[in-house]
Amino acid sequence: MPFHDLPIQKKLMRASLLISGMVLFVTCTTFFTYEFFKSRQEVKEKLETLGKVISANSTAALAFDNPTDASEILSALKLEPHIESACLYNKEGILFAHYPDSVHLTSFPTKPAGEGYFFSQSFLDGFQPIVLGDKRLGTLYIKSDLSDIYDRFRLYFLITAGVIAVSFLLAYLLSVILQKNISLPVLALVETAKAISEHKDYSVRARKYNKDEVGLLIDAFNEMLVKIQEQNMTLSEFNTTLEQKVKTRTSELEIANKELESFSYSVSHDLRAPVRAINGFAAILERSHSDQLDKEGKEFLHTILREAGRMGHLIDDLLAFARLGKKEVQKTMVDMTTLAKETVDELLKLDSENNATKINVKTMAPALCDAVLVRQVFINLISNSLKFSHNKPDAFVEIGSLEEGGVVTYYVKDNGVGFDMRYYNKLFGVFQRLHSYEEFNGTGIGLAIVHRIVTRHGGHVRAEGKINEGAVFYFSLSSLIPVNH
Amino acid sequence: MNSNPLEIILVEDNYSDAELALRALKEANVTNRIVHLKDGAEALDYIFGTGDGSNRKAVNTIGLILLDLKMPKVNGIEVLQKLKADEITRNIPVAVFTSSSEDPDVKECYRLNVNSYIIKPLDFIQLGHTIRNTGLYWLMINHLPDK
Amino acid sequence: MPILRRMIRLGLIFVLLTGRTLLCAQTAPVAVEYQLKAVFLFNFTKFVEWPADAFNSDQEPFVIGVLGGNPFGSYLEDVGAGEKVNGHPLVIKYFKTLDEVKSCHILFVNKAGITNLSDLLSAIKGRSILTVSDASDFLRSGGMVRFYINSNNKVQLQMNQDAAKTARLQISSKLLRLTDKYEPK
Repeated sequence: MPFHDLPIQKKLMRASLLISGMVLFVTCTTFFTYEFFKSRQEVKEKLETLGKVISANSTAALAFDNPTDASEILSALKLEPHIESACLYNKEGILFAHYPDSVHLTSFPTKPAGEGYFFSQSFLDGFQPIVLGDKRLGTLYIKSDLSDIYDRFRLYFLITAGVIAVSFLLAYLLSVILQKNISLPVLALVETAKAISEHKDYSVRARKYNKDEVGLLIDAFNEMLVKIQEQNMTLSEFNTTLEQKVKTRTSELEIANKELESFSYSVSHDLRAPVRAINGFAAILERSHSDQLDKEGKEFLHTILREAGRMGHLIDDLLAFARLGKKEVQKTMVDMTTLAKETVDELLKLDSENNATKINVKTMAPALCDAVLVRQVFINLISNSLKFSHNKPDAFVEIGSLEEGGVVTYYVKDNGVGFDMRYYNKLFGVFQRLHSYEEFNGTGIGLAIVHRIVTRHGGHVRAEGKINEGAVFYFSLSSLIPVNH
Repeated sequence: MNSNPLEIILVEDNYSDAELALRALKEANVTNRIVHLKDGAEALDYIFGTGDGSNRKAVNTIGLILLDLKMPKVNGIEVLQKLKADEITRNIPVAVFTSSSEDPDVKECYRLNVNSYIIKPLDFIQLGHTIRNTGLYWLMINHLPDK
Repeated sequence: MPILRRMIRLGLIFVLLTGRTLLCAQTAPVAVEYQLKAVFLFNFTKFVEWPADAFNSDQEPFVIGVLGGNPFGSYLEDVGAGEKVNGHPLVIKYFKTLDEVKSCHILFVNKAGITNLSDLLSAIKGRSILTVSDASDFLRSGGMVRFYINSNNKVQLQMNQDAAKTARLQISSKLLRLTDKYEPK
């Protein structure tokens, strides 16, 4: 996992360990290096000093050609156990005296070389000229064993490594403790956020540990939760109110429906009875007693019959219209062409007056709709068309479908009397009529029924008309094209 | 025509409707005796012989009952219920004759095993046709189990 | 050359007397030993400190004198040529009699040329002169440093520190280390 994707705990841990490790490493390395070079320098200086002392002491021995004394002087090096060996050369460069006795002469350089001390693998050696006044008396060779200082370095190294290890361990323990200060609140916040998103419980609050930026964040988070809770409360209150309202409205609506039902019942039962009586007795009067009436009386009787009949139709249509609101729409796939043809046949059968009208039923797209209701739509529209066009000499009615913007629209078109588009807004209203009853009979409910059926199917109805040129009624049954198979 | 031994009982509270129905029956040349009863209570008394103490009607003389629904005291539904609940009167054909085309009535009537449910036409001529056809059907065409 | 002949004869006597040096002496009869002694004489200037009143002035030369015949040939000059001792130019002088010894800082007394050492040494007693000789009874007679040949055939030094002290000469401890101490009996 890349560093930036690590959990914050690990990130903090690694960062602190990396930093402390680096600091420790650099410090210890610097210290160690300094100590290494300083020690070497010290050893070298010490050897130089020792060399100078030996040189000074051995001047007389060289000056007076006394190797015994020279050996004695060199043997003083016993006190410096790290001095492995030493020797003196006289001014001719011939080995004069050596230390210790046990060392074989061949292990010394045969001739003195250049002045100075140099480090080699495990020892430090060098030549020191012996001068008296301005006279060179000879040369001292001295060789120091470095195993001591290398042992010391090894010890240093071990101590350094130990210090690094212990410090690293301490840094680890400290960072475990300290990083909790940072990571714990963050982790707690994350846990809280998780819990909230899982259980949708906004009453939970993140615990605040410190007053640092994380603390501020937690404060802000908690404030946010308070806000959310408040909003939720408002929302649920609103919902409750809304539900209550819906319930109230529903029951109100149910009551209204019941009232409508009883109203319809009253209308159908109580209103029809007197109409039926008027109609019935007028009919009996006309049939059995017309010989007792003069011409005017007969005309009045006829009017009574006609108006009573119209009253009956009004009541029936009104009931049918009211029933539409209650009836459920049961959608099936309907062959609209057949449905229209059947409707036309029925209408022609009922009223032979229209046989002269040319009726063209085109092939139409099927529709997903309630066949009974849509049949009513066709009845109303086609009968309207027949009614308003049968006075024309070449009357025709056309029924078809077309596609408009992805929606199948059906239409019933005639070349009848048409209508004035100025009164279009009255066209689909209940009891709204654009023609006098004397011109064309009808209750003014037919188009209102059409409108209601189409609307209940989720469709739209509209009309285009021109006086004396005809009218077209369009209707769609759904906002979507039905799937054609 | 011979006098038909079976009676037709018309239960109708509305005078006009009753008059029209009777006239329609008359014009349809129905020869059966027609008994007009003015409400449900009267009908139950006539058929079951309760109330004012008169004897129970000989049920097997009733050929058809034309029953209005909306009536004072005892309405048509109650009458229908009583008729169809009784072992003896169960088989008498009952044609509900009503102005109402509302669903609850129709359903309730059929639940109570009505024989016919007829909505009174507004037109007198049609009314006559309907009554004549109903009478013809139930009295002449339909065969009832032996009593 | 009667002198040379005598010297050779003396040398032979010396050789006979010292016995074991015979072989060395034969190739360079005098030179090797005295060459070394000449160097030693010069080296004394480094390890001995003279009192300030040993010199009348800074320019006064440092005198190495040889009394009683020169056994060094020209080696002494070779060693000391152009040298200075504490700023004083080094001068080698050869004296025949004690009377000639006036300004002198190191006096080598050739045993061959001296008969009465005691008299000689008492004569210069008190003067800051480092007296050196290879005469065997030199130290007993009041001399300061005696050369002798040890068993390893090496030239060694013996010193009478009391005499040096009397002459107010400071002998370096380094030099003292190398010398055998003379203990008067």
